[in-house]
Amino acid sequence: MRQVVFLAWQSLRFHRLQSAILIFGLAVTLYLPLAVNGLVARYQASLLQRAGATPLVAGGLGSRFDLVLHALYFRGHVPRLLKMADVQALRDTGYAEPIPLYVRFTARHAPLVGTTLDYFAFRQLPLARGEPLLQLGDCVLGAEVAATLNLGPGDRLLTDPENVFDLAGSYPVSLRVMGVLAPGHTPDDRAVFVDLKTTWLIEGLAHGHSDVTGTNTDADVVLDRTATNVTANAALVEFTEVTAENLASFHFHGDPGDFPVSAILPIPRDEKSATLLRGRYQVPDATVQILVPRGVVEELLGLVFRIKRFFDANAALVGAATAAFLLLVVLLSLRLRRPELETLFRLGCARGLTTRLVAVELTGLALVSAVVALTAARITWALVSLW
Amino acid sequence: MVKLPLIARLGLASFLSLVFTACRPPAASSSTVPARRPVVCTTSYPLFYFAQRLAGDRATVRFPAPANQDPAFWRPSRDIVRQYQRADLILLNGADFEKWVNTTSLPLAPQVDTAAGFKQDWLMFPEVITHSHGPHGAHSHGAIDFNTWLDPLLALRQADAVADALRRLLPGAGAELEQRRQQLRRDLLALDQELRGLSTRLASQPLLASHPVYGYLAHRYGWNLASVHWEPDEPVTDAQWVAFDALRARHSGTLMLWEEQPLPAVGAGLRARHVLPVVFWTCGNRPVHGDYLQAMEQNLDTLRAALASAAAANPAFRGGPEGTEKTGK
Amino acid sequence: MMIEVEKLVFRYPHSTFTLRVPELSVAEGEKVALAGPSGSGKTTLLHLLAGILLPDEGRIVVGGVQPPRLGDAARRAFRIGQLGLVFQDFQLLEYLDVFENILLPYRIHPALTLTAAVRERARQLARETGIDHRLSHRPGRLSQGEKQRTALCRALLPQPLCLLADEPTGSLDPAAKTRVLEILFEQCTRARATLLMVTHDTGLLGRFDRAIHLAEVSR
Repeated sequence: MRQVVFLAWQSLRFHRLQSAILIFGLAVTLYLPLAVNGLVARYQASLLQRAGATPLVAGGLGSRFDLVLHALYFRGHVPRLLKMADVQALRDTGYAEPIPLYVRFTARHAPLVGTTLDYFAFRQLPLARGEPLLQLGDCVLGAEVAATLNLGPGDRLLTDPENVFDLAGSYPVSLRVMGVLAPGHTPDDRAVFVDLKTTWLIEGLAHGHSDVTGTNTDADVVLDRTATNVTANAALVEFTEVTAENLASFHFHGDPGDFPVSAILPIPRDEKSATLLRGRYQVPDATVQILVPRGVVEELLGLVFRIKRFFDANAALVGAATAAFLLLVVLLSLRLRRPELETLFRLGCARGLTTRLVAVELTGLALVSAVVALTAARITWALVSLW
Repeated sequence: MVKLPLIARLGLASFLSLVFTACRPPAASSSTVPARRPVVCTTSYPLFYFAQRLAGDRATVRFPAPANQDPAFWRPSRDIVRQYQRADLILLNGADFEKWVNTTSLPLAPQVDTAAGFKQDWLMFPEVITHSHGPHGAHSHGAIDFNTWLDPLLALRQADAVADALRRLLPGAGAELEQRRQQLRRDLLALDQELRGLSTRLASQPLLASHPVYGYLAHRYGWNLASVHWEPDEPVTDAQWVAFDALRARHSGTLMLWEEQPLPAVGAGLRARHVLPVVFWTCGNRPVHGDYLQAMEQNLDTLRAALASAAAANPAFRGGPEGTEKTGK
Repeated sequence: MMIEVEKLVFRYPHSTFTLRVPELSVAEGEKVALAGPSGSGKTTLLHLLAGILLPDEGRIVVGGVQPPRLGDAARRAFRIGQLGLVFQDFQLLEYLDVFENILLPYRIHPALTLTAAVRERARQLARETGIDHRLSHRPGRLSQGEKQRTALCRALLPQPLCLLADEPTGSLDPAAKTRVLEILFEQCTRARATLLMVTHDTGLLGRFDRAIHLAEVSR
């Protein structure tokens, strides 16, 4: 066998151009479906891993796909908003600890995720730099956001206005970057995290301004004053940046129970509690739906990857055609080598040697092609994951 | 030994490296965290007292507010906020007591609002000036009276909320917790009985207060209480005296409850008006001596002595015998 | 006798050609030329003697062995171990250098073991045939004479009993022809190998011990 391998290697080395072409053809035939399927599998695994790591998602009634995509991947909008009262009601069941999410705004086009510190513990998101959220107006950046915007602890980040033409709308708020999360290769890398209360601040449910109830208040900002109430006018300047000096002036208007959240991640105490919680909300007049994200994502992937079958069939046909061409090339090559093989026979080569020789050559080509295809596929997967 | 040509060796090496790199090492198992006592952080002294009595040595209870600051208006430093963030249980008084929580990032799961269970019983501070934005814009609401622990029956409900939270935190200490809870319950009910008895003596006598912080006591035990807004460490202005006299014209109280001893000049001014200042500590922060119950007992003793003193000084002062049930809430 | 043929009959399938050799013999160590017109069956006879083809009738004995009676594997082993074959068109493998072409028999059959001694003998043969300076060159860079000398070394390396050469000088120029022939004869003498060589060149017949005219032999 050693001699056969030697002869095969010598032949392939001599016919290096033909060998290279064959390797290239085979490698490409192997690489395309390998790379695509690998990317699809990785993407699928990534989506499912995220979904699998989240036991439940709760949100307003409507499209379950929208809700899960919003809560897990911070994409799109939910069909209906919930209130903090819904969060408390869920907590009061005793079956789960709720983690509220409010993802409505953006900062430099990155989704702004309003939540509580529980989210970081639940997702096990360690900090690469800096500190966790401390107070209103603070933010923690996902790894990719920090790298893209070149921001770090101590920097400031301005939220994006929802509508640049709405002059009477909420003003952008200057957030203080407290920390940067370590890369996790999840959607968390591409998000900016703030305390839930900060999103309410951005929405205008809270604000900070100088005290207008005191007797030394500038009259220019007072519209009306009675014994029990002072009405301020639009001239009253509201702070767009939370600092240590003005923090105490920030306050909320309205019933906190009515403040909005876009989704809840209920973390059940155990499987039984999860089942009981879901059952609790499966009533006709429920205004909250509770979903198992993995099932929803699997359903969504099933719909999307139904199309993939067409691509798979196409790849199979192309592969078959390529294999047929390669086979033709091999057969033609064998015909050209007939004198060589005849020589070996006439010299008295061992029975089956010529077959073994050709087989070893083809196996060698196939092996190298496979290595090339695998290497190229791995490089592709690595590059895509970087992007 | 088979000696492969160089390219075959390179190819084999590449293939094997791909195979080996595909086999990722198993994820490092998480290290076992040694068991430690859970940490409970409270935002008020009464909650600290309840938590300590209930948890015993099963948990480490902390109340980080400095002794010389009013916890209701205290703003914790960065390091103390981190303490709260790391706590296994955060006991909040609720009823808008700890305003700093509204602008601070705390995890939701460890938080327990001990006053949430009796929201319908919350009282409002009287005569608070609110503000609003524009004729139809957002407006602030009147301030909620957060001194819920002064009412022993509401304090008992808060203590029950603390006990429930501790039962979840210390699942193996159920029996012990229940025993302690019953003991605390007896103590608070006894306090309630004493206050009821004392309130009988007060009858419907008008009482004065330097601050509207005794609302829950007044509401529970039927005190006829009127309050001003005077600080114990600040002098009273002439305008304030005038307003005070006008108040006394319609509410002739002879006892004035103070959170702390007023300035001597203020005390003299009150005595000149036949008003006896009575220190009734609100227990928001740690007492100089003793604990919450002992401080409340001290308050009752002080009030009893003041009543006796008032009756001796003013025979017209009518007070009922202590011990009769008073129609409170 | 090294080679004995009796009443040999061979017919190619789908062809009218029939080779008949009633009797033919070559003594050990003899150098015999096999001549005849084109199409008389000279190459066919060599292939029959080597066991590449099997006769329809008759008896063939080479070196005491009847190749037609051997199984395919034994026939191949006999051919590669006991016979040396030299072809008119050299039939070197273009992807092996001269040295490896010479060693080729030892790489294509387990009956021959490639050892250091064999390699040294190959180098010796190359020196003796004057191609030792071309050992690392591939056939594409060799002259016709050098190619044939390489083929000759390949045939002689296993130390065969008998060398069957099919017009080894047919493609060579006169000088190369002479050179190759000299080397062929010299090596056969040295190896004490019997030589049966097909040739068209009547001018070479005198150099052999005798010549067999196939047209006369086959009837």
